[in-house]
Parts: sequence; structure tokens; C-alpha cells
Amino acid sequence: MVAQVEESRAATSRRPVQRLINSTLLYLTVAVVSLIIVFPVYWMMISTFQPSKYILHFPPPLLPQELYFDQFAELFSEHPIARWLRNSFLIAVMTMLLCMALSVLGAFALSNLRWPGRNLFGLFLLVTQMLPEVLILIPLYILYRRLNMLNSIPSLALIDAAFILPICIWILKGVFDNVPAEVLDASVVDGCTELGALWRIVLPLSAPGLAAVAVVAFFFAWNEYLYAGIMLSSGDFMPASVGLSTLKAIAQTPVEQYMAAGLVFSVLPVVFYLAMQRYIVSGLTAGAVKG
Amino acid sequence: MNERVDADALAGRSSGRMPPPRILRRRYLLPFALALPIVLYEGLLIVYPIVQGIYGSFTRIELASSAATTWVGWDNYERMFSDPAFWKVIRVTLLFTALVIVVALTVGLLTALLFNRPFRFRPIARGMLMMPWAIPEVPVVMIFIWILSPQFGVVNILARMLPGVTQNPQWLQVPELAMGWMVLISSWKAFPFYSLVILAALQAIPQELYEAARVDGASRLQLFWHVTLPGIGSTLELLVVLAAIFSFKQFTIIFLMTGGGPSGTTETIVIRIFNTAFRFYDYSYATALGVAGFVVSLAVALVFILMQVRRTQESA
Repeated sequence: MVAQVEESRAATSRRPVQRLINSTLLYLTVAVVSLIIVFPVYWMMISTFQPSKYILHFPPPLLPQELYFDQFAELFSEHPIARWLRNSFLIAVMTMLLCMALSVLGAFALSNLRWPGRNLFGLFLLVTQMLPEVLILIPLYILYRRLNMLNSIPSLALIDAAFILPICIWILKGVFDNVPAEVLDASVVDGCTELGALWRIVLPLSAPGLAAVAVVAFFFAWNEYLYAGIMLSSGDFMPASVGLSTLKAIAQTPVEQYMAAGLVFSVLPVVFYLAMQRYIVSGLTAGAVKG
Repeated sequence: MNERVDADALAGRSSGRMPPPRILRRRYLLPFALALPIVLYEGLLIVYPIVQGIYGSFTRIELASSAATTWVGWDNYERMFSDPAFWKVIRVTLLFTALVIVVALTVGLLTALLFNRPFRFRPIARGMLMMPWAIPEVPVVMIFIWILSPQFGVVNILARMLPGVTQNPQWLQVPELAMGWMVLISSWKAFPFYSLVILAALQAIPQELYEAARVDGASRLQLFWHVTLPGIGSTLELLVVLAAIFSFKQFTIIFLMTGGGPSGTTETIVIRIFNTAFRFYDYSYATALGVAGFVVSLAVALVFILMQVRRTQESA
């Protein structure tokens, strides 16, 4: 055994050429794969930051020829994109607040308390998260129509929060699970109520998890298209996801403005999602896989 | 530990035919009080509409007039099962879902294996890998509409390199091409998530296993087959089900790019439900389609839950 290990070690160090080829191949593969994956994003940038004369040409140049920054001002003056973004922001903030309040309570019950029905509660949340949104769209639309709740930003936030709340609870549950049970027990023995322990011990220890929930809820509502398009059909309340989908490239909107709109809308979610990816993944897999 | 003692003590006392002790009521009051608002909230906005939808599928719904809904029994379902268009939708849905599972998971697995190896700039490369996942669906649609433009789309440069292609293809007008792009775009958007989950599973495989196998003279392929694959097997199984759920739900990309066309070749059931309700205003038939979709997704969700339960039992 020992002799074999030494032999194989010697073998690897004896072949530096082989190692060089191997690592070159690795870097080459990584480069090619990354290029394919990122190309559509790269192309959005290229199409945003160049004057259209380069991009409205076939075949288009693959490398940027000239930088151009007026498209953002044109975009904001020619389309009500500021209002769309404001509407998206309002929907997202309301969804976020509602989700944070409810998910703290739900996650505490699911993670730190022991009670009959706890598993059932967890399963209930899991199933509601897995149903396609469109299945509930028609009955909800009919309900909202009857209750006169169409074309209202808070009404849409109520729906968005209902869809994302289960995932938020599962994310927070994973975070609350890390609070040692002994610490909680000790605080309860010391005369602290369970809710007091949640407020004074669990929450301060779970700040990153709370931030993750805020991010997930905010950007779910920010990105949501289907319900926003049906429930907010009036132009005044149109959020950016719906507004952007009405833009027509070339025919009605110059390409650099069209792509700039996509870029403006994507910057925030990309930054925050990348920062919070671990938590989001663990929530989407309901903690089955530690992300 | 503490809990078991408590539970035994409680069981001992409550067996003495006394009313449930105060402590029991106090203990369970809080969790129920915390869970109740959530159950009510989800019940009102998710469960109640589902029940309404099931009820509605047995009626004729007139939204425009104030006429009361009339009970029509199984009419909507009879129509659905005898409708060739419905079976076409089912075929398209199965094809789309299966293709996205295969493509997204294969790419996810390969990129995870690649990005699991140590190399410089790995954090940057991983950040780039996550980009498609972090960009919202509507901008993704905008990017690809532009890339696939028959007039100026950059993808035509590649297409023109193929022998026999002298004109830019109408990417979204040819049925096979449209379906292919729907699968590719959905997979591009979805695979980073699977890749990230598989990466986490790969890193949980103990290094000693690899070392031991190498000492025994295992080749690279054998290492993958006998160490890596068993190590991530249960994660992959779980991801197949999750991918089925996510791709079955896919709405925005297909709806905004093809709307289900050309001539229904990319019309999955979620698109069909939407079109039936909000293009043809046939709400009752749409709710019947919705119930069909609900049954399917509930079945898949149950598979996921059973797998979860099995996993937790194994790890316990």
C-alpha cells in the first residue's frame, strides 16, 4: 500500500509536461464554458453601450467599437420607465414587509418549537410553493374582480407575498435551526418568554438570514410578470416587468434603449441574488440540500 | 433530551384521567398561534382559489354578464378529454418538461464537475456561472428576442457557418427551432441553480473516499462512477423532481417569446390555460384545464415530499 502511494506520487511529479497539458485544458474548458454561459449577458451590454449603427448591421461586430451613454436619458424621457420602476418598487417593498413579519413567526414555530402538527405545517408550506401560479390565477382573478381589488398595488403585493412566503419560511427555518437549543432553553429557564427569546436571542443571531428573506421576497415581487400583467392592467399601476414586455425592439424602441431598459431592471436583482445565493438555494430546495 | 423527559412526564400525568395539564396548553398555544395566521393567509389566497377552481370547472362561468353561474357537471371534462388540442398540449408539455430536465441537469452536472476542480479565479468564474439565474425572466426574454432577431440577431453568425444555410432562419417561426429555443433558453436560465446544488453535494463527499480509491488504483472514470456518482446520487434524484416542477411551471419565457406558437407547437398547459381564459375568455374550460394541471403538479410534489421523508429517515 505505502509503496503504491509513493509510486503514484513519484509518477505525478515525474510528468510535469502532462500536468501542464492538463491544467491548460482545464483553463481552456473553463474559459469556453464561461464564454457560452455569459455570452447573452455580454451581448446585452454590447447592444446597450454602442450607438445602434454598429448593432443594426449584419453581421454585427463582436467587440465594442464605440461607447455611448445617452441611451439611458432617452429611455427615461421617451418611456414612463421611472413610473414603472416606482410601481415595481412599491409592490416589492410591501411584499417584503409582509413576508418578513409572517416568516419570522412561521420559521420560529417550524424550527424552535416542538408541537404536534409541526411536520404537517412544513409539508403544507412545501406543497403551496410547488403549484404553478397560473393554476390559481383564474379563480383569484374572479375573486379579485368581485371584490373590486383589481388595479391596486397592495392587492397584488398580497398575492406575491402568498406565493413567496413558504420559501421565505423555509429559508429562515434553516437559519433558526443554527441557534443552539441550549441557549433558548437557558433563556426560558431564566424567566424569558418564548417570544422574548425569539426577539432577544434568535433574531439578533439571524441577521444574514433575515436579509436573505428580504432579498428573496423583494425580488420575487420585482420580477413577477404573470399576476402583475393580469391584476394591474391599467397603465398607471403597471410595474416594470410588464412595462418592459410591451417594448418592441427596433420597430418602436431603438435597440440600445431596449437593452438599456433590460439592464436597468436587472442590475439590482443580480447584485443581491449573487450576494445571497446560499440562502436562496437552501430555501428553494426546502433545506433538503445544504447550499 | 429535555423534551423527551417533558413528554414522558406529561404522558404520565395525563394518563391519570385528569384534564390536560396547564403546561401542555401553554406549550402548544404559542406555536399554533404563530402558525394560524400563516395557514389562514395561505389558505385564503392559495387553497381557497384552488377549491373555487375545482368547483368552477363543473360550472359555466359568465364574467361579463351578471348571470349566475350554472352547474354543468362533467361537461368541461368531457370536452377536454375528447379535444385533440388538449392531447396535443399534453404532448408538448411532456416534451418540453422532459427536454428541460435533461438539458438543464446535464449542463448543471457538467459545469458543477468542472467548477469543483481547483483553479485560479474560481470565485469569479462561479459568480459568472450564476448570472443567468439572477437575471429576471423578462430581461432574459428581451435579450433572446434580440439575439434571435432574423434581421440582425447575432446567433445568425453561427447559423451561417453551417453548410447550406444562406439566409437567417426565422428562429421562432419554425416549430422545431422554436421548441429547441424554448428548451435552450429555459435551461440556460435554470441550470445555474442545479449546478450550485450539485456543487454543494460534491463538496460534501469525503476526500478520504477518493484517496482510498486512488490507492486501490482506480482510474478517473472509475472514481467518477464509484465515488462521485453515488455521493451525489440522491441529490440528483431530488433535482430531477425539482426540475420537473420548475419547468412545468415555466410561463413567462414561452408566453412572451412564442405565446405558444407557431400553431401550438410550444403551447404547454400553463400557456394553454392562460390563452383559454384571457384570450378566448372561456373561464370554465380554463379552470378545468387548471384542475388537470393541478393534479399533475400535486402528484410530482408528492413524489418530492416522499423523497424528502425518505432522506430524513435515512440520515436519522
